[in-house]
Amino acid sequence: MPISYLRTTALTGAALLAATASFAETFRYATTTDPQTLDPHAVSSAPVLSFLNNVYEGLVRRGRDMSIEPSLATAWEPLEGENGWRFTLREGVTFQDGSTFDAADVMFSYERASSEASDVRSWFAPVTDVRVVDDYTVDFVTSAPNPLFPDSIANFMIMDSDWAEANDAALPARDAENFATRNVNGTGPFVVASRDPGVETRLTPHEGWWGEDRGNVTEAILTPIGNAATGLAALLSGEIDFIEPVPLQDVAQIEGRDGFKVLEGEETRVIMFGFGHEHDTLLYSSDVTDENPFSDPRVRLAAAHAINIDAIDRVVMRGKIEPASQLVPEGISGYSDANSDRPGYDPDRARELLAEAGYPDGFSFGLKCTNDRYINDESLCRAAASMFAAVGLDAELTTMPVRNYWEQLRADDFDMYLLGWSPGTFDAEHPIRFLLHSQDDEKKLGSWNFGNYSNARVDELLPMVQQELDPAKRQELIDEIVALTQEDVAYVPLYTQPLIWAMKDNIDVTQRADNFFMLRWVDVN
Amino acid sequence: MVYFILKRLVQSVFVMLAVALLAFSLFRFVGDPVSQMTGVETTVEDQERLREELGLNDPFPIQFYRFATDMLQGDFGFSYRTRQPVSEMIVTRIPATLELGIVALIISLIIGIPAGVYTALRPRGALTQALLLTTLVGVSIPTFVIGIMLIFFFGVQLGWLPTFGRGGTVDLGVWTTSFLTVDGLRSLILPAITLGVYQLTLTMRLVRAEMMEVMRSDYIRFATARGIPYRQLYYQHALANTMIPVITIIGLQFGGVIAFSIVTESVFQWPGMGLLFLESIRFVDIPVMSVYLVVIAFFFVLVNMAVDLLYLAIDPRLRVKEAA
Repeated sequence: MPISYLRTTALTGAALLAATASFAETFRYATTTDPQTLDPHAVSSAPVLSFLNNVYEGLVRRGRDMSIEPSLATAWEPLEGENGWRFTLREGVTFQDGSTFDAADVMFSYERASSEASDVRSWFAPVTDVRVVDDYTVDFVTSAPNPLFPDSIANFMIMDSDWAEANDAALPARDAENFATRNVNGTGPFVVASRDPGVETRLTPHEGWWGEDRGNVTEAILTPIGNAATGLAALLSGEIDFIEPVPLQDVAQIEGRDGFKVLEGEETRVIMFGFGHEHDTLLYSSDVTDENPFSDPRVRLAAAHAINIDAIDRVVMRGKIEPASQLVPEGISGYSDANSDRPGYDPDRARELLAEAGYPDGFSFGLKCTNDRYINDESLCRAAASMFAAVGLDAELTTMPVRNYWEQLRADDFDMYLLGWSPGTFDAEHPIRFLLHSQDDEKKLGSWNFGNYSNARVDELLPMVQQELDPAKRQELIDEIVALTQEDVAYVPLYTQPLIWAMKDNIDVTQRADNFFMLRWVDVN
Repeated sequence: MVYFILKRLVQSVFVMLAVALLAFSLFRFVGDPVSQMTGVETTVEDQERLREELGLNDPFPIQFYRFATDMLQGDFGFSYRTRQPVSEMIVTRIPATLELGIVALIISLIIGIPAGVYTALRPRGALTQALLLTTLVGVSIPTFVIGIMLIFFFGVQLGWLPTFGRGGTVDLGVWTTSFLTVDGLRSLILPAITLGVYQLTLTMRLVRAEMMEVMRSDYIRFATARGIPYRQLYYQHALANTMIPVITIIGLQFGGVIAFSIVTESVFQWPGMGLLFLESIRFVDIPVMSVYLVVIAFFFVLVNMAVDLLYLAIDPRLRVKEAA
């Protein structure tokens, strides 16, 4: 009769390990969303990738400061005579079941991750060929020079080919689950010891892990807690050591108590308003029905000048945001220092611009927002709507859960909308590709550019940015794009969203800007 | 009797199909499952292929026909969110919900019945007024507020009881139970109280009203005149006669307790069917949502049948009718 005592684990763990004369450090943490699957190629969502980075590893990985560092590859260099990269693999690495890691596993994982059943195959869109040179050398050939390719595959996790094939999991599960949905065999620092999806997942250290940078956690227990108040209570009652995310309104309460601390940082997600650039008319207006004022850059600039970002920071976000001037925050590679000014709060100028554009009395329009996707998103939109109204832009606000949201945006059902964007590659090229390039289904570009902002010069510059090897020249190209899109007011970037974690005083963690939680950086004191 | 049960079971199939149809027709408004299943970088083309593979582009009648025929053959499909078999997901979550519901029911009866008797016998007592008032307040506050208040008082401030989850469970093969560990039992207390408050109030008021009615009837007066001890009079003669309608109402309510434990399960992160349903809504996990609603409908049918059978056992007049 297997018995699991959730809250006495520390004791039993200590009793077990007393024999081996070491300390058991059980770390109990909670997040709002359980990873949907343990298959590293099946679902490309933050909860899955964040969790699995503790279990699986990629050729490269991101360090504490988000920089790319060697992982299963010890070195990489551009191929000679053709486009692409050569990765030299680490020797002496074993998977958690004891089998050896080599180039065949990389090849297998590439084929698995780029298959039609994979949700991460877009990472390999530039790849034309992969060659195993020898047991510890692999070449990735790309269609064009691709300086960022190593950065773009930091979450490409390597799976053991023999294990996957023996367990009939050579492809990611698409409809029904397969063995890899609930079982793992990575090279990473932690092993999944038990899993009850949606209830509890236990991890223990992988003793044969090659790396050294690992804290003292001997058992980690992940409990998804969907309700924010429940999560907070679990932390304050001491049943949980760590929770994320923490609602802004609860920060003061946690900080006010002895024995707990809050870790605040800036996420790389920029919150912005987007426009229906190519719409012929407004959909939700009661006064302007035969044209689309937002196709005029002066009107878009007026909307930008109407926003009082300091008031939003103070009232809605409790002083925890960093105003944004462009689609990536400062510190991300490719951030344009030359264009770091944002349109200031200037209602008079906004009214002037509207009058110049032929709308001296303003007009009404529809604003779509989520109410469960970004921090305080609904309050943000309410505040913004009243700021718009103050200059004559009468926003009719509609908020909805994110599960209904993208469908409506894809169907062009908006005049203006809210969007948050985190650059997956941690480079300024990412939002250009998804948000600023015109919609192009064939080339798979502009897929989140809902309003279809289109500027021929931006479209022309994007491939140049993607292929430029010289960092200085590349930055010039990006600066030009940022300048152009600021001039066009393609979007109204608002701010960078805060990242708030809370834990007991005796816990040390590292907060990374992508909000991934790395167990190997946890120390229980 | 057997005929009666069979008839009910056949009826239940139609009830479940009707529920499935209703649920299914509402799901198209819940959202887009594909955008919840894929990452931001997944191309529109790949999303479209997945939508086609899942049959989401088919007309509604075809989708429903496929779901209904699969289900009649015992195939409940796979979750969009976790890709696990839906039947397994629901079955592993049933024990948590049922145990919570049963404990809530027991708490409501253990407190509700004596409290009802007391308030009926001493209608003007101070304690009676206090009981009536507190239960009225308890039933007026939304469940999640009661839950959060209990958590913060007993869990956070006093630190007496766990604030979330089932605690220690014992796996008996097909059933995981909280009843066999101290920790599991402790974890049950707060959610069971939260879930049981409404039932408790209902039971108390029902027992009180019935009891006051019975106490006025002739046979109680005659019994009093005969000098039967009060204790025997209240608890044997009077209470026994109040219980018939009480059992009916409580039984029927129990279906509701199970079905609507969603809020309590969410507040206490109680890993039952209700929590599973909530998670499924967030991910537009249509297969899980449909099967959950069908299972709940079946449960309602079962509870109703049990109450009818109880009636049959208690009330001789019904038995005669059925035989004729």
